[in-house]
Amino acid sequence: MTSPADLILRYLVGILVLFLIGPILLVMLFSFSSNPLSTFPLGEISLVWWKEMLAHPRFYDSLGNSLIIAVCVGISSAVIGTMAAMSLARMKRRSANTLISILCLPMMMPPLVLAVSLLSYYNAIDLPLNLFTVIISHLLFTMPFVVLVTYARMASFDFTAVESARDLGATPLVAFMTVTLPMIRPTVIGASLIAMALSIDDFIITFFTIGQGNTLPTMIWGMIRTQLTPSVNAIGTVLILISLCSSVIALRLTKYRA
Amino acid sequence: MVQEGDGELNVDWKSRLLMLPAFAVFVLFFIAPFIYFFVISFWRVRTYKLSPDFSFVNYAKALERYVPIYQLTFATAFAVALTCVVLGLLYAGVVRFKAGRYATLLTFVPLMTLFGGYLVKIYAWKTILGLNGILNGAMVGLGLTDEPLTAFFYSPFAVGITLIYFLLPFAILPIYASMRGIQDIELDAARDLGAGAWHRFSDIIVPRCRAGIVSAFVICFLLAVGDYVTPILVGGKISMIGNMITPQFGQKFDWPLGSAMSFVTLAISIGFVVLFSMMMQLWRPR
Repeated sequence: MTSPADLILRYLVGILVLFLIGPILLVMLFSFSSNPLSTFPLGEISLVWWKEMLAHPRFYDSLGNSLIIAVCVGISSAVIGTMAAMSLARMKRRSANTLISILCLPMMMPPLVLAVSLLSYYNAIDLPLNLFTVIISHLLFTMPFVVLVTYARMASFDFTAVESARDLGATPLVAFMTVTLPMIRPTVIGASLIAMALSIDDFIITFFTIGQGNTLPTMIWGMIRTQLTPSVNAIGTVLILISLCSSVIALRLTKYRA
Repeated sequence: MVQEGDGELNVDWKSRLLMLPAFAVFVLFFIAPFIYFFVISFWRVRTYKLSPDFSFVNYAKALERYVPIYQLTFATAFAVALTCVVLGLLYAGVVRFKAGRYATLLTFVPLMTLFGGYLVKIYAWKTILGLNGILNGAMVGLGLTDEPLTAFFYSPFAVGITLIYFLLPFAILPIYASMRGIQDIELDAARDLGAGAWHRFSDIIVPRCRAGIVSAFVICFLLAVGDYVTPILVGGKISMIGNMITPQFGQKFDWPLGSAMSFVTLAISIGFVVLFSMMMQLWRPR
């Protein structure tokens, strides 16, 4: 039996689901519509905005930069984050949790404050702004994710297998590569895909730390601010699909369960 | 460094070394920039150069000139964060206790919308609420109005709804995570003892989800306070404090003032966060 109150609750949640996915679906829909005002009626199905996107002089550079940054951030946050998680897993739970919450502080900062403090710091230490500064900056808010996820996996990890390998004469590196890594690999890859999704989506910190050049979000920003062309919808769709795919794979790999 | 009694005496200090890169990045690129950024809030700009000083003039300026903007920013952020918490409780509660076989599907919706398309999400609301947007198109089409209305767009309402839109997943997920710890049997027991729906919610669910609720509020509040893209894209003349801070790092070139404004913002934000978590501590079953 469903009470009227339950029914109302269900309708409300239905509305919230629409609220959450509707606008994103609209953007995707409009990228295929011939209506230049991004509104209804949709007109005919058309690829004109996708062609315009591909013909945009800055599109390939921006896509390339986004991918370079995302891959570097994904790999380096996976390596550094996994190392930290391994070490934390051997500590007492309380001190590990304290250290993790310290590492998570950059995630609690408003991104704008993080961005401008990094900008002024890079300027003070004469570090020229380029893709490298963007990668370092992204590490700050992606690495905590890797540490959190990998540490959670390591908490249920059986260290006896590693110790047997060590007793049989394996060096720590060999023991890690042959025993530990194969067991935690899906988690690490999943976590680094989340890091890549976060990196590819970031606008505010990239905008302040890139200097010259563009990534997909900063390119979209330029397009929204100058002329409103529906090819923004197409680029937006590309951006959403990249991060959606990597997070879907990530969730599967890390065995996220509802 | 010796760890107690689990036979890892010799590997222990080596394993701690593995933490070094993570903390090196943290110290060199978070702590150091943060301290430097705080220090320059006491500096001055002379002939387009930062010059060391020890003056509170930037803080005085930050507090004098921007009072209405701070008020608007914090009022908006508070309302947005509170709405997100309420909607998050509703969504997570229904998913956890009522959704049955749809639960898995429903948890994927906030997860999928969490990642991806920060700018695109804000831009989407521009196409919905704008002058030639879908809402106006629908109203003109239905004959409800002759002229497109500007009321939806460039209003606090537009800023609020857009912020709620991209922050809601950040509220749902921690609240849902903390609800997973509540057993059905606790709620059934309360029901059998005669507790109505409201009492089960306020005396069991809310206190048990306190940590999730507080982190939902904190994340939503801090992200809303610092957001400057939403007001630019859908707020028209409405400015939040981020819109006053960014030009200091661009054409106005007054980093010390921008820094002082950032720290005033952070300090007030921490105040709000502490206040909210104290309020949640007071929420106890009677």
